[in-house]
Amino acid sequence: MTQDEFQDPLENYDPPSYSDPLEEALAEQLVTEIQATPYATVNQETPISEALGKLVGDDIACLLVADDDGKLVGVFSDRDVLNHVALEYDQVKNQPVSSVMTPNPVYVYQSDSAAAALSVMAVSGYRHVPVVDLKEHITGIISPQRVTQFMNQYL
Amino acid sequence: MGLRENTQTEPVKTLNLREPILVEKSATIRQCIEKMREGELGCVVVVDSAQKPVGLFTEAILRHVLLESPAVVEETVETQMADSFPWCRLTDPIDTVLEAMELKNHRFVVVVDESERVAGLAGQKGLMEYAAEHFPQEVMVQRVGTKPFPEQREGA
Repeated sequence: MTQDEFQDPLENYDPPSYSDPLEEALAEQLVTEIQATPYATVNQETPISEALGKLVGDDIACLLVADDDGKLVGVFSDRDVLNHVALEYDQVKNQPVSSVMTPNPVYVYQSDSAAAALSVMAVSGYRHVPVVDLKEHITGIISPQRVTQFMNQYL
Repeated sequence: MGLRENTQTEPVKTLNLREPILVEKSATIRQCIEKMREGELGCVVVVDSAQKPVGLFTEAILRHVLLESPAVVEETVETQMADSFPWCRLTDPIDTVLEAMELKNHRFVVVVDESERVAGLAGQKGLMEYAAEHFPQEVMVQRVGTKPFPEQREGA
């Protein structure tokens, strides 16, 4: 095949077009462009009372729960407090947080698009989306407030 | 129109508003928690006899009061509700809600009708759903489980 006969495999590629800078930013930028730190973690054996104290002390709505290797195993959020702790506090306060956390949360990789994180919130209904690296170690958490901060840069 | 322009021109009523849980001031926090659990919602709106909002009790407030004293659940919601809370009208632009959530870190915005009675609740999830509708491809490929790739071969 001569150079004249070369056919560019991308000649029919139609790059995506966006209606405005916000759509472009969400589609083209990575999750890492959304603020994902600081974040707070607890070990799965942490007592519920201590985890609740951390939520209150740090004034945050969600803790990431990790195993001994630092891998994500669950989240402990305001919703878990409402559903499993609020009316049962005295009975459960010394139990490990793993007994009331939400296990196996949906997460995104650092290499996912910003829109992917937003879609997890919309489709799965989780307000807090953990961010992990390729070895599934925790690198951050994305909250709706952080997404709206990101979006407001382009409004 | 793009997402940015839509948030500035489309009214709050186009969002997927949640049906609010309404309680009176005399309700106990225990009753509020039970209603929040049943309704799978992170707050209750405290209203007066005319169904006008006078306060908001949220999961965030619950978290704080619970640590101070678990016995607080037997008190009336009036003692712990936030009497200053974000609200907007059905006809306000959507970026009103965005601003309340970003700048003031509010999770819920109470939406009122022309009579200032509670008409709905704009939440972070509704806002995310609204924005995600502009990215159907991302939504369509959204995985349901936690693994982004199959762990076993499919097919023969």
